[in-house]
Amino acid sequence: MTWLKLVEGYMPMQMISELVICILVFSIINYSLKRAGMGLPKFWAGIFVWAFVNVFYLKYRIYPPIPFSVRAIYGTVSACGIFMWVSGSQQEWEEFKRPIINVLDAKTGMTKFIRTALLILLPIGLWGFAYNSFLPNFDEPIELRTVHPAPPATTKVHGKTYVLQTASNPYRINPEGKYDQAYSNAHIVDQSMGRLMKDVNSAEENPWDPNAKGYIKHVREGGEIFFQNCHFCHGDNLNGRGLWAFAFNPIPANFTDAGTIAQLQETFVFWRVSKGGIGLPGEAFPWASVMPPWEQHLTVDEIWKVVMFEYWHTGYYPRTWE
Amino acid sequence: MGRLFNQMTRGKKKLLAVSALMVMGGLLLLPIFLSVTAVASGGGAPAGGPPADVVAAQKAGEEGEAEKVEMGRDIYYKTEGPAIGDGAPVTADNETFYPRYNFESRVLLWVANQQHLYYGSFVLAVPIFCMCIEFAGMVSKDKAMAKKYDQLAYDFIKISLTAYSLTAILGGILIFTFLTLYPAFFGYLSSIFRPVMHIYALTFVAESGVLYIYYYGWDKMREGVLKWVHLSMSVILNVIGTVLMFLANSWIAFMMSPAGVDEQGRYLGNIWHVIHTALWNPLNVHRILGNMAFGGGVVAAYAAYRFLSSKTDEERAHYDWMGYIAMSLGVAFLIPLPFAGYWLMREVYAYRQQMGITLMGGLLAWLFIIQATMIGILFLTTNYYLWQALGRMTGGERFQKYIKYLVFILVCGLLVFITPHTIVMTPAELKAMGGQQHPVLGNYGVMSAKNGGINAIIMTTIISFIWYQRGNRVPTVSWAKFGNIFMGCFFVIAQLNNIWLACYGYFIPANVRIGLSVPQVAGTLSCLFLMTPLNLAMLKNGRQLGPIRWGQIPPRSQYAIIMLATAFTWMMGLMGYIRSSVRLFWHVNEVMRDNSPWAYTHTIGFAANVISFNVLFFWISIMFVFWLGTLGAKKIPVPAQAGQPVPSPQPATGH
Repeated sequence: MTWLKLVEGYMPMQMISELVICILVFSIINYSLKRAGMGLPKFWAGIFVWAFVNVFYLKYRIYPPIPFSVRAIYGTVSACGIFMWVSGSQQEWEEFKRPIINVLDAKTGMTKFIRTALLILLPIGLWGFAYNSFLPNFDEPIELRTVHPAPPATTKVHGKTYVLQTASNPYRINPEGKYDQAYSNAHIVDQSMGRLMKDVNSAEENPWDPNAKGYIKHVREGGEIFFQNCHFCHGDNLNGRGLWAFAFNPIPANFTDAGTIAQLQETFVFWRVSKGGIGLPGEAFPWASVMPPWEQHLTVDEIWKVVMFEYWHTGYYPRTWE
Repeated sequence: MGRLFNQMTRGKKKLLAVSALMVMGGLLLLPIFLSVTAVASGGGAPAGGPPADVVAAQKAGEEGEAEKVEMGRDIYYKTEGPAIGDGAPVTADNETFYPRYNFESRVLLWVANQQHLYYGSFVLAVPIFCMCIEFAGMVSKDKAMAKKYDQLAYDFIKISLTAYSLTAILGGILIFTFLTLYPAFFGYLSSIFRPVMHIYALTFVAESGVLYIYYYGWDKMREGVLKWVHLSMSVILNVIGTVLMFLANSWIAFMMSPAGVDEQGRYLGNIWHVIHTALWNPLNVHRILGNMAFGGGVVAAYAAYRFLSSKTDEERAHYDWMGYIAMSLGVAFLIPLPFAGYWLMREVYAYRQQMGITLMGGLLAWLFIIQATMIGILFLTTNYYLWQALGRMTGGERFQKYIKYLVFILVCGLLVFITPHTIVMTPAELKAMGGQQHPVLGNYGVMSAKNGGINAIIMTTIISFIWYQRGNRVPTVSWAKFGNIFMGCFFVIAQLNNIWLACYGYFIPANVRIGLSVPQVAGTLSCLFLMTPLNLAMLKNGRQLGPIRWGQIPPRSQYAIIMLATAFTWMMGLMGYIRSSVRLFWHVNEVMRDNSPWAYTHTIGFAANVISFNVLFFWISIMFVFWLGTLGAKKIPVPAQAGQPVPSPQPATGH
């Protein structure tokens, strides 16, 4: 159902809002039908809601496709929710159970037929399920990838040891030349689409201003390094969709996603960039990264600058603890 | 005259009994005081002086003997101190350091430890409940209710007593497991904690003594001043229990975030530094709350088991009520538990970033998703129980039609709360998704959304509880309408504030985002601590729509309680495993390396199987304890007459 767009930046809330609207519409319809004496039996209402959310909405409405493991979690939780709803009171529970009991009792021709059909179909279904599970499967196995492994306490780059817990970006400085996270936070671009179109006039805000100096000048220098080295994979918009990105699986990290650099300390990113995929620690199974160890191509200063550019461009702030 | 004489004799007897009790309590506590003094002096020297080792070292220095005192630097406090002993042993994979059976030693230790912890938590939590319930009974003006509470507290402690001996047995098994399988590590730990090891043992003696007096003296001390003395004993009992737990916590805290030793693991003479490590206090708070929630859950499961096996309506009524009280107590401590957990994790991150990332973003992150699922189950079952309980009240049905809306909020909150950041998927799914993070669901995988999710769930639980309070009552105060509107608005604003902050968290720096949890939590706690009393104030002298029909609750509710207790047990096992395995290949983090063949992190499946085994073992053994409890129980003899309303549960007299 891709004709109804999920709006970038609002997708999570859009999803919840859509579900709320769907459930409200369903409640109103059901209420109206009840008033007219044609209310949907609780049993079918429960099945309908579950099927709508899991079979229709999560599978066909949300794109890109949600992996099965997540849909299985959602399916189980929503089934629990529906059980809680239909058995919330004794009266509702009796109402929900009635069609099941009727079929089991089989007092009418129709229920007899359904019971007989179920007796035949259920074993066949189970047999089919078992048969299917025994078929040889040539899919690649599931990988429980550790995307953000714990960093080491220290890392050595170009002969100098950095303590990741306490090190800081030497270029994240205020006009006085002192490390100042708040200053740089105040000078990142706004988080929105078309962020680079923002009208920035002053040399303090605009990295392309010839008079830019200090922090913002270093951002530009980081940008130059990024576009000379990184954008081929990480993309012009830093969203992991560069020219070469789709040659890899997984594609390179999407820095605009709230779950990547926004969750990390700047020193973590510094360590990852310096050491690349080959420097991933043991716990980073299955070490699915082809990023080169950039310490072999860039100086320490260049790495710090490019890291700073990534934060500036995406509008995210590096994680700090204080 | 004779009457007066009798009164005087009775008074004297009471005085004698109180004095005897105080002497007994004093004697029990004496060894602890003596050993505390010894600790303060470093193990035998007069109080107030430096530890004996330090004195010896100083003396050696003063006398100018050949051996010079080597100073060490505390790895956490950064203070200097005389290095004592050889430090942490450097072990190797051989029989000397790691004697073994033909089985994985770590799993044996894991099971022994977990079982001891389950029982330890239970017997530490139950006396706290007893204290609260006994106190409630004593201050209750309603004599019948007072007796009911007293009986309930007695029932609780009776279960705890059998469990207490099992705790001691399991503690012994644990020690032997340590000594036989990890002698080098245990030797090191004992050498560091030597000054407090005996305090721990002596505190156990005191705990046992006070517990036995408390239990066996129940009938003798049932009235007047003696009852207050009895209650005071429960206070002493709980203080001792808490000290015990704090001491045990200091060992695990030391293993995670060592302090008071130098880089080689040599003790620097300050036992307080060794105990008071970076994670000790967060662990203490988290464990107290966790134990209480767990204890409540287990007692509630006992009541549910008795309810389901009851033969008469009276029995059902009694155990329905008991289950309700136990569950309420458990849930009361469950609500602040996520916040305590949040504080603990914050401190873990502050202590070592790597440790925090391994836990919540790296190797063990998936276990946290399982934990989130467990937390969700706890809250969902709590709500479900309360909704079922509405059915035993006349008037409760007026709330039941709105349950579906609460279900929707709960399910949405839970779905957000348990959405994994690192998704399990096949490479084909990964490719189809176009990257590691899903553009829609990926946003639910981070902390900002999860805080919103769990707070929404807790707020909904508070609404369910308020509905339950109102089940068979209607407020009649003149300001009832205003009160209702105010409460409604308060909840709506709190929920909007929660959602807004969850969204806003994506647009601000991480340190500010972490701080946002404070107003979110404040909103939730305000709902709890302002709206619940407000509701009670509104219901004061309210119109009763009918009695609570204790015992007339669907069996589903009791299965919900059993599920709640099982989820508690499973989650406790899981979190214990996570907390322990975050040290990775260290016995004592960054001080003593684990060089055994089992110094690797288990697969999630294997860990889940061992946790499940532990849970199963615990429940089988606790069923035995429950069964023992029924052996000594008096039957409630009055059979119910068919067609007659079931009265409120009445306590059995005497024990």
